[in-house]
Amino acid sequence: MKLFKSLGLFVSACLTCGIATAADHHVKWHDDGKVDLVMEDGTTISTTREELGSLFGPDQKPFDGVSISVTVNSGGPKGGISGPLYSFRPIWEELTGGKLEIVELPFGEHYTKMMLDLRNGTGQYDAFMVGAFWYGDIVPNGYAFPIDDFMTTGEYPQWTYDSMPQSLKTLHTWEGVGYGVLNDGDGQVLYYRRDALANPEWRAQFKKEYGYSMPVPPKTWQQMLDISNFFNGKNWDSNDPDPDSGTVLHLKVGEQGHYHFQSLSASFAITPGPELDQYHNVYWFDPTNMKPLINSPGHVAALEFLQELHKTGPSAQVGWSLGEAWDYFLRGKSVFVFSWGDVGSLCQDTSRSKIQGVCASSILPSSDTYYDHETKKFVKTTNPVKVGNTTGGSWHGVISNYSANPEATYSLLSLMAIKPASIWLAQNGWTGVDPGFTYQFLEPQGEAGLGDYLDAGWAEADVKDYLKAYYETFFADTFLPYLRIPGSFEYWDILDKNLSATMSGEISAKQALDSTAKTWEQITDRLGRDQQLGYYQSAIGYK
Amino acid sequence: MKTHRNTKARFVFLLPAAIWVLTFTIFPLVYSLYISVHKVETKMNVSREKVPMLDASGNPVLDAKGNPRTKIKINREKISTWTNIGFTNFKRLVDDPQVHSAIKVTSIFVLVAVPSQLVLGILLALLFNQRLWARSFLRAVMLLPIFATPLAVGYLFFTIFYEEGGPLGFLGVPFLSNPDWALFSVILVDIWQWTPFCFLVFLAALQGIPNELMEAAKMESKSKWGLFANIIFPMLTPTIVIVLLLRLAEAIKLFDIPFALTGGGPGVATQSMSFLAFRTGLRYFDLGYASAMSYCLLIIVMIIVTLFFRKLRQSYA
Repeated sequence: MKLFKSLGLFVSACLTCGIATAADHHVKWHDDGKVDLVMEDGTTISTTREELGSLFGPDQKPFDGVSISVTVNSGGPKGGISGPLYSFRPIWEELTGGKLEIVELPFGEHYTKMMLDLRNGTGQYDAFMVGAFWYGDIVPNGYAFPIDDFMTTGEYPQWTYDSMPQSLKTLHTWEGVGYGVLNDGDGQVLYYRRDALANPEWRAQFKKEYGYSMPVPPKTWQQMLDISNFFNGKNWDSNDPDPDSGTVLHLKVGEQGHYHFQSLSASFAITPGPELDQYHNVYWFDPTNMKPLINSPGHVAALEFLQELHKTGPSAQVGWSLGEAWDYFLRGKSVFVFSWGDVGSLCQDTSRSKIQGVCASSILPSSDTYYDHETKKFVKTTNPVKVGNTTGGSWHGVISNYSANPEATYSLLSLMAIKPASIWLAQNGWTGVDPGFTYQFLEPQGEAGLGDYLDAGWAEADVKDYLKAYYETFFADTFLPYLRIPGSFEYWDILDKNLSATMSGEISAKQALDSTAKTWEQITDRLGRDQQLGYYQSAIGYK
Repeated sequence: MKTHRNTKARFVFLLPAAIWVLTFTIFPLVYSLYISVHKVETKMNVSREKVPMLDASGNPVLDAKGNPRTKIKINREKISTWTNIGFTNFKRLVDDPQVHSAIKVTSIFVLVAVPSQLVLGILLALLFNQRLWARSFLRAVMLLPIFATPLAVGYLFFTIFYEEGGPLGFLGVPFLSNPDWALFSVILVDIWQWTPFCFLVFLAALQGIPNELMEAAKMESKSKWGLFANIIFPMLTPTIVIVLLLRLAEAIKLFDIPFALTGGGPGVATQSMSFLAFRTGLRYFDLGYASAMSYCLLIIVMIIVTLFFRKLRQSYA
């Protein structure tokens, strides 16, 4: 009995020591200069002392006793964008001696809480994981802390804007000054079911019905609509006995549904050209007078097209957020979804996805007809240009000018931005961090090796398509300009409500966009047309 | 002397209430009226300087190489500009299609939800005023919805109305994706939550009717309808007016359920006036316009309340 008691004590002591050791050693310093960053679940990210910066070392606690708080869209410890903060918290706390409070806010509330904190000068939060479209409301008003000086001191974890494509770099800076710390790269691509589109029987049937071979992937939106119509209502997926859909969309008002329209309409409404001028490569407003372009015939045609596409999916999607639409695709219920990078990496998560290995991706199709803003006529083309986009938030950290500890806050955000951390984040779908930086793309376009992704559980065909799709999206010659001016949130919210009314059949596409344009004019006048024009020209690079 | 002391004591006892009303009612009212006739812009001028980093005892903190560490000190100057714009915000209300839509949504909601709650409440109260099997238990169950937070109720019904695989999905009804059905769903949830309140008050009122009166009326009246129309309903009228008033005032402020259930959509199909005011003030930060909206809502509520109090006084008379 005594022996058992002693043994029990010994085991419990060992367990206690083991837990303590695990909890206390999230950072392992090696003599050769390498450093292992160990997360709670044992995942290890290898870096170097040099990459971590001179502030950190085995016996240094540069921010001992300092507490910082960071806001983020709510998602929990394994949620998109919020999850990585939880993963890096113990590492950062051990490295610095500081304490991190993660403040999760619902997507619809985040902007409001941030602006209330900044406008009232409360200073409750040190940093915000912002969407890039919030910049117009925070930077010109003096609420954001510039980080260029921190980046050059060598004291903090090392990362650089140079690893970003220009399209993403722009979203992290304002008038040439850096404010955002690298984290996420948002853009929408097309996901499709490789197996369905390659099936010889379906292909033969499609050719018979539509008179041309099913292109894989579809090059134009019109081809995609045909394919979507073709598959809608057929049971082409063997995961369940029910009929499946063509395209699934996330259209709930206030839940990012308007991004679908932005990405899709770009190739209908943008007049491609070698330079950005009054008529070419513009999308939101006329850059000479801030008159809205959102109700141009190209935009209206695009919205009417989106209504058609919506008919090839479940009608309930009018009330769906991202999660519901993504799950529908992941369960094998639709041939297409066009959305963010999360979908590609979630396809690899077999606890949620039934389509690993058949989840193909490509840059978004283009319209075979676009509106020429100069001639005021539609142009039909046999070779439509590919239009890239950075649609979405590219969610990343920005430090508040009310922060009492900008140094400590920056040390956290930059720790999550170092190359090995950034690669790990992009490889794991649940993090919500999408690829966009050179070292995340496969060779020869980037520096990543296929093996890294295969080791992380990716199917080879899926990851090759996925990274190629994103590379083409971020490096396209023609681009959907990003709206980053004061009031962006309001402009988009109005658009969102009108789009939702159209998709639910309440009003027509033209009515919706005319109403949007009318309200946008009022917003512009209220905020000051000249000021808005200046910011808009600067945001899109109009000279 | 005694009178003076009494006056003083009265003043002291009233002071906390007066402070409360001034702070939380009068001041916000006046302040929001002031905002509604102004355009408010806030900005911050910032300068930064490097200062030595000091530890708790005031000594300089050194880095690994022994050099003193510095810290950035941010000097902030908040600038708020208030420009008087007269009644521009109130004029905007007249031409704003979003306001028109929100008034329509709120009106439909109030006109359908409140009478439904009253009628159902009376019917249930009449039912529970009789001898009934497991009456106490059923009454307790009936009251449960009142205790739920409206926001939580909204999320709960979001799950119930979920069209793909939700518990009611087999009905094939577009509860949340069709504009008309979405508004109906919001009304349905509100009826579910607030009918028990009406029921509870009416039941109490019914039980307050003297037994002698009811017995005498039963002897004189030939039908149950006659009993209800000639005795019960007139006796309940003051209570009905009070409940109607309370429910109207609450229903006009509709916010939580559409916020959680539909997000105001599809489009603006379930966007109420309060929701629009919230969106305008705390999403677009157009505080002046949001205040103007709130004032309009307040005026509407006050007119209704005044009318009902007049009616109440008449019924008592």
